[in-house]
Amino acid sequence: MITKTDVEQIAWLACIELDEEDMQAFTIQFNAILEYFEELEDIEAEPIEEEERNMLRADEVTASLTQQEALANAPRVENGYFRGPRIL
Amino acid sequence: MSHREHVEESLDAIRRSKLNAFITVDYEGARRQAEEADAGELDGRLAGIPIAIKDAISTKGLRTTCASKMLEDYVPPYDAFVVKKLREEGAVIIGKTNMDEFSMGTSTETSFFGPCKNPWDLERVPGGSSGGSAAAVAAQEADLALGSDTGGSIRCPASFCGVVGLKPTYGRVSRSGLVSYGNSMEQIGPIARTVEACATLFEVIAGYDPLDSTSRDVPVPHYVARLTDEIAGLEVGVPQDFFGEGVDPVVENATWEAIAVLESLGVHVKETSMPNLKYALSAYYVQAMSEASSNLARYSGIIYGHRVQKDHDWHTTFSENRASGFGKEVKRRILLGTYALSAGYYDKYYLKAREARALISRDFQRVFKQFDALIAPTMPYVAFKIGEKIEDPLSLYKVDINTVPINLANVPSLSVPCGRKGRLPIGMQIIGDQFNEQLLFNIAFQFEQNTNNTCAL
Repeated sequence: MITKTDVEQIAWLACIELDEEDMQAFTIQFNAILEYFEELEDIEAEPIEEEERNMLRADEVTASLTQQEALANAPRVENGYFRGPRIL
Repeated sequence: MSHREHVEESLDAIRRSKLNAFITVDYEGARRQAEEADAGELDGRLAGIPIAIKDAISTKGLRTTCASKMLEDYVPPYDAFVVKKLREEGAVIIGKTNMDEFSMGTSTETSFFGPCKNPWDLERVPGGSSGGSAAAVAAQEADLALGSDTGGSIRCPASFCGVVGLKPTYGRVSRSGLVSYGNSMEQIGPIARTVEACATLFEVIAGYDPLDSTSRDVPVPHYVARLTDEIAGLEVGVPQDFFGEGVDPVVENATWEAIAVLESLGVHVKETSMPNLKYALSAYYVQAMSEASSNLARYSGIIYGHRVQKDHDWHTTFSENRASGFGKEVKRRILLGTYALSAGYYDKYYLKAREARALISRDFQRVFKQFDALIAPTMPYVAFKIGEKIEDPLSLYKVDINTVPINLANVPSLSVPCGRKGRLPIGMQIIGDQFNEQLLFNIAFQFEQNTNNTCAL
């Protein structure tokens, strides 16, 4: 059983601000969904097979985006840099 | 008819359409490419053919939104691998199709740009998440389309709209340039009105790409050249687990009638069972949500994407950007994924889901020792009404019961129309072992040639 306080904590971890209405609705919905997921508890622990094979390529320098292209979608730009919010 | 005239027909159909299948239409670019094809400047296997692309696939210079407010104004600086391939073969990219936001959904109702409608009944959903792609092809707004399938997102709308759609083997098609949702399960795949057209498009987009570390370096066969290969003598399994509670008897009957057609063509059919499939829905959702929470962490509104007017400290700013940029279903999946990966719950949810995935993969490995292919209903029922399930997320997740096992096992599955309930199409999926797409096309082609279910809207 997860509570509204739990949902608030998860939302903080996930960096998504929730309003009161969503928090209420999500608490009810999450309990129904997590209850459904509980069927996974029946599974006996078994070794996990390799499902994905990652193939690495040689680390060679190739043409990349220009500064202009890289900045083209940024909401705020200053002197050729991305402008972020303050850290301190 | 010239390519320009043919493309103009597509553009006219889009303009008159009530479906909302497209988020962005590139009228100018499409006409220019068609004229180039007419002038002989474009050649290749898809020269002059109008194709629609799911809005989760990057197109250089053409807005790619993922049906999200977060990416409402995002214009990719590069083409996805598959889009490069299409351009090399002369295809005319007419526009970007509607979808569930960030591919999270089964009905194309969660789009920031409004729901897409089913061409056979405007009050019903086209399926999802690649709903716009399937609806556009069914309604002849495009000849071909690309979708992406993480848990059924190509096959579901193909089934609901009465067209052919393939979820390829994991690693067969490059994901480079596809906006990630559940990266260990998703593949880009073709949607078309006929099996041959579907195979033609697949032949173009399949292949190795060093920019996708999970892409596999396996030669691409000439699927179309071998489309007419003999299917008599093949062993086909019908797992009872795909006919569980909730499957509409009309869908069940249509599937068995299709199986009877294949038997009359010399295919040997036998029932089988895959007991671990009962865990598939939970295993899929836990894993997809966990991957989503990680993949969507990049959307902070700084390098690209939606950003609120006023800046605060970084945590508040990021949280506000994400709160106002993402829709409800995206928030639900990110939050549940964050929970499933958090300390104390990782073992209970995420690790158990991985174990279930291994069990399900083994079920598939076992049946493919005995059978060349499997057949099952793609969806448990025909297209449902817009608004019918959207308020109850769990009821909407359950719609994916028959499609998610395929993604967990990394195998290919082709959905083809096999009947109707009233006007509404029914689809069956033909499932094969890894890299055995050829066999799926061959079975589907013979079925199509010997029946009359092809889309005729």
